[in-house]
Amino acid sequence: MRVVLPKFKSLSKNKDVLKIEAPEYIYIPLIVGSDTDITILVKKEEYVFKGMVLGKTKGHFRIPIHSSVSGIVKDFVEKTYHDGTKVKCIKIENDFEERTQEPVLSRKDMSKLTKKEFISLLQEKGIVGMGGSGFPTYVKYDNDNINTLIVNAVECEPYITADNAIIHQKAQEILDTIDTIMEINNINEAFIAIKKNNQELKDVFDNFLGTFLKIKIILVPDIYPMGWERYLVKYIKHTTYKKLPIEKGIVVNNVSTIYAIYEALKKDKPLIERLITITGDIKNPVNINVKTGTTLEYILTKLQIEKKFIIAGGPMMGVNVPDLVVSPNLNCVIILDNYKETLSKTCLRCGKCVSACPTKLSPVLIKENLDDKEKIKELKANKCIECGLCSYICPAKINLREYVRKAKQIEKE
Amino acid sequence: MNAIKGPFFRSKNSTNKMMIHLLVALTPIILFSFYKYGIKPFYHSKTNFLGLIYPLIFILLSAATTFITETLYEVIVNKKRNEELRYVIYNHYSFFPGLFLALILPINTPLLILIMGGIFAILIGKMAFGGFGNNIFNPALIGYIFISTCYASVLSSSYLSAYEIDTLSSATPLSNAVEALNYTTLVKPYGSLFDFFIGNIPGSIGEVSSLLILVAFGYLAFNKVIKWRITITYLFTFFIMTTLISSLANLGMWYPFYHLFSGGLLFGSVFMATDPVTSPTTPIGQTLYGFFLGILTIIARFLTPYPEGVMTSILTMNMFVFILDGIGSKGRFNFFRAFIFFVIAWGLILELSIHIGSGLRTSPSDATDNKYNIISKETIADQTTYIATYEGYQSKLKAKIVIEANKVTTYEILEQNDSFYHMTSDVNYIDKLLKSNDLANVDTVSGATYTSNALKKLLLLTKEDYQKDNGKIIENNDNILDSPEIKNYELISEQIENNNYVYHVSSKGFSSNIVLKIVISANQIIGYEVLEQNDSYFNVIIANNYLDTLAINQNDIETVDVISGATYTSNALKNIFKGILGYHKEKYE
Ligand code: SF4
Ligand code: SF4
Repeated sequence: MRVVLPKFKSLSKNKDVLKIEAPEYIYIPLIVGSDTDITILVKKEEYVFKGMVLGKTKGHFRIPIHSSVSGIVKDFVEKTYHDGTKVKCIKIENDFEERTQEPVLSRKDMSKLTKKEFISLLQEKGIVGMGGSGFPTYVKYDNDNINTLIVNAVECEPYITADNAIIHQKAQEILDTIDTIMEINNINEAFIAIKKNNQELKDVFDNFLGTFLKIKIILVPDIYPMGWERYLVKYIKHTTYKKLPIEKGIVVNNVSTIYAIYEALKKDKPLIERLITITGDIKNPVNINVKTGTTLEYILTKLQIEKKFIIAGGPMMGVNVPDLVVSPNLNCVIILDNYKETLSKTCLRCGKCVSACPTKLSPVLIKENLDDKEKIKELKANKCIECGLCSYICPAKINLREYVRKAKQIEKE
Repeated sequence: MNAIKGPFFRSKNSTNKMMIHLLVALTPIILFSFYKYGIKPFYHSKTNFLGLIYPLIFILLSAATTFITETLYEVIVNKKRNEELRYVIYNHYSFFPGLFLALILPINTPLLILIMGGIFAILIGKMAFGGFGNNIFNPALIGYIFISTCYASVLSSSYLSAYEIDTLSSATPLSNAVEALNYTTLVKPYGSLFDFFIGNIPGSIGEVSSLLILVAFGYLAFNKVIKWRITITYLFTFFIMTTLISSLANLGMWYPFYHLFSGGLLFGSVFMATDPVTSPTTPIGQTLYGFFLGILTIIARFLTPYPEGVMTSILTMNMFVFILDGIGSKGRFNFFRAFIFFVIAWGLILELSIHIGSGLRTSPSDATDNKYNIISKETIADQTTYIATYEGYQSKLKAKIVIEANKVTTYEILEQNDSFYHMTSDVNYIDKLLKSNDLANVDTVSGATYTSNALKKLLLLTKEDYQKDNGKIIENNDNILDSPEIKNYELISEQIENNNYVYHVSSKGFSSNIVLKIVISANQIIGYEVLEQNDSYFNVIIANNYLDTLAINQNDIETVDVISGATYTSNALKNIFKGILGYHKEKYE
């Protein structure tokens, strides 16, 4: 079943990107993706420059975390990450000097970089998937057989317009970067995936596209979750893979990530800023450019928005949080007036959740067999990508995703 | 603060909306039944005001029964009160089983039986399994099965509306589906396939109008209310099988359509088989479910004495839902795991169709002698008294046949319990048999084929038995008083209009007098008009354009064949045409 969701995108779409002043205190979350195993490289009361490495993940990916301001490390405190968990943050007192360790550079010809330099730049600058996963980007390119680059600009969840905004602003830079990446990695085709009903984004790209012959714009159907990697690869390349698209020589990058790569290649700038959408039942939904580590509270005060029911992320995959600090993979915050949990009723076994599931699970059967570990294994609950479609579609308003999550846990135990 | 779990976006669809869609889809069907069983008989003055609204009362009563039963059960047994009770009332849709039950029953089902069926449906079909969402079997069908096993005979004689009783002779078109395999006996008595399509045939209240059911299906599938895959695969399988069967048996394309539009197939496949709670949730499960429903229905219709088969097939498949869901959920990851079941299903579909189709061609009805049984035979002087039985439609017919001096003098049915027996006695079928000199070729009574055949065979086989020991039976030729051929006509009036002679002539047809206006000019019939008739088979006459045929061949009436299946009526018409022309010529020539 193809599910088309209502959009709510016009709320924040096509508005100028707002840049708000940096806050007095920044809280850099010590987490990359969901990895909280971080070596901390700074001490309390130490002076840090903007863009300085504050910590690194311990695993073999070694992703650095950078400071988004210059100032003095004050403390280590806990704040809420956008998945609702508490995470340790480095609290830095901003001196508003924006001082960097080295002078800001502007590399003239990005494509002169070797593949090795390219990969280590991505790693050093902490580039991670900005669509939500937070997966280290350099890992994707650390492969010699890449033949296709898919740039994901689908943004299939309702409300979110961050990618949209960055395309409007930086289409030229994005295309440049894609071209550079292709040259460095010897990739011969690239696709930018845009939703069919987002014709205006295609027009934006078309203005510049003339010189980039190997980059194609692909209009994908307006269904949810079209932005899911597997769907994109299937739709564009007509192929499937076991774990990662690189098995078939395909790299999928979010369009915001591409822009972060641009800044890293061109200006040696780490990932310390990003565009997020602030929307919902508020007077002036906007896209804003904020530093990582900014608290939501600060943003809301600046925008004069009352703090009510907060969703970090889109309405489908997002999480209800009390507050929040901005991390590189947060793309949207939705503020709702009051949200009441829908009462769930008796399952009438209509099978809609089954037809809707993009990973071909049978949520209703998983729910019915929660007490049977064997059955859950057979039903492959762990394949769930938590897109939430089953819960969305259920006429009895049963929150099936939670049941499937529970099943995943049971399966792990 | 406890975080609320997402997704924070839920579709606008709800169980309630789906149920409302379902009601909307059912409304035209209910209105049609109101028209067919209420308005139409009322309009033809066959019933009073109560009869007019009876269909609605019937349906409402049934819905109310299940609703009240379930509510009382929740109050008394589950001790639900206030909020809880309100929730159950608003969310468990307990009037639906009753509604469906009413629609799959014949209109003349006694109300008490209807109520009992409703109570049974809820208590056994729903509550015994733990209520809404947990029941394995479709509650309405549980109610139906209860009624049809306990009150089979009541049901089979309750199909005709007050209007139809006078015009049609057969209970439902399916009652002869396998026995008599020709268009004239199966379809003609009810008009044409078009009548089947729009619902102009006898049947259960909600099941007759194929057209409205298909419209409802379109509506429900469009709004994604029902599991449309089940309906499609069910009907597809059924249609493929009947088409194969009919082509193997050389029957022609009308046969699959006749089957498709008769009985509860369409209604069952659209409304009963897709009942969400009792059908598979996985697409593959639903597809297989449809295949096997089709297969089971074919088995029931062709290989068992129960011509209907839809409801029992659905109940049977209800039991396999969880297995099909198991196959369906695994088949989603790896279709190969479900593939074998598709192979099995299609193997069965082909094998059964071929088996049944070729069986029909060799006409199994001849190998029926073992149904005949002589219980006693007594000979005193030249009088032999036989007591013999023959397997009828639902019961054994037991008869006493006395042959005296090589002549049948008595033929009396001692015991029978056949629901269609009355149809044969209505037309004095036994008399007809006795008078016939070509017993083997006497027409059966349409609509009571099994029963009339049994009566015929009883006499025929008894005679054969007698002839083995004694001499040849003297046929009762001298007893033939009024063979239809020499039946007369009656002149009611004659007058001259514009130099034409206008006659009103009547003759006795099969079940009523037929009055025709005949216009003659220059010794030729130049016009006719049916003034009065109430003949059961008149539609066959019309369908065959028989009157035109007679008019065209008016100078050679003897050569015009009668229409088989409407012998009486066609003879009556022949008599009128021939008689009045003769009368006119004699008078004015
Ligand atoms: S969508 Fe909801 S009501 Fe339908 S089968 Fe799934 S859980 Fe049950
Ligand atoms: S949340 Fe999981 S189970 Fe539900 S539809 Fe998405 S992938 Fe399927």
